[in-house]
Amino acid sequence: MSPSSSSSTVALPESKPIFDWFFALAVASVVGIFIRAIYFTPLEALQGAAQKIYYVHVPSAVGAYIAVSITALSALTYLWLRDERADRMAEASAEVGLIFTTMVLITGPLWAHRIWGAWWAWWDLRLTLTLFLWFLIIGYLILRGAIEDPAMRARYSAVLAVLAVLVIPFIHLSVYFQSAGLHPKPIVLQPEKPKLPGEMLTTFLLSMCAFSLFCLALIRARYRLGVDRDRLAILEAERGL
Amino acid sequence: MPDTTGPFYAAYIITALVYSGYALSIWLRAKKTREKLKTLENS
Repeated sequence: MSPSSSSSTVALPESKPIFDWFFALAVASVVGIFIRAIYFTPLEALQGAAQKIYYVHVPSAVGAYIAVSITALSALTYLWLRDERADRMAEASAEVGLIFTTMVLITGPLWAHRIWGAWWAWWDLRLTLTLFLWFLIIGYLILRGAIEDPAMRARYSAVLAVLAVLVIPFIHLSVYFQSAGLHPKPIVLQPEKPKLPGEMLTTFLLSMCAFSLFCLALIRARYRLGVDRDRLAILEAERGL
Repeated sequence: MPDTTGPFYAAYIITALVYSGYALSIWLRAKKTREKLKTLENS
């Protein structure tokens, strides 16, 4: 993506390793959860192996929520403080949010096709709202690429980011608005005891933690790339390149 | 129990490929940027 809203007078932090112990820990967690989900978690009686898509589909959705929320919070921070670091963070987390939302949109239909008999259903609110969020993130990144002036780019994209995050509560609550939708109501986050059996619940909760950690690690790595890009842009500007 | 291993394996393989591909893209972009930075700083 394009450099952030830094001016040539602002000193940027030193380059840090893109991947470090935190990233390694996040990757190890996700690999661990893949092994647990594939080999050590029982099959669901009605759906068979396809139910295990749950352990990557829902955590990817939560990762997308986290990333888009960080984008919006960073955007708000930028609008308030005009701090270039906030803009850089917003850009980094938006890109990661796009990847996680894409994974939700890929793994969902793979599961749905075998269980619901359809790849997609336009009338299902959660599906269409998630696709809408995906378009908003794409729009955010395209907008950033289209505006040359760093301050204007940061300001306009921040407004879009704050508006985009408003879709998330509607995605989450859509199963309550639409009683006849394809998506079921929550089976873990509900007032009563979770409906998942113990081993499946453990895998699910561990998977949520692993994917959330991985999401944060990717945002951190992407932020560090943004720092380098901004430094490069400043150097190039200083030397008239 | 139905045989639904096809979509299960597909979902896990695609998930692994997309996430690792994205991490690799960050690494490659950072490598390219740092090489340019090094060239500029040394010139």
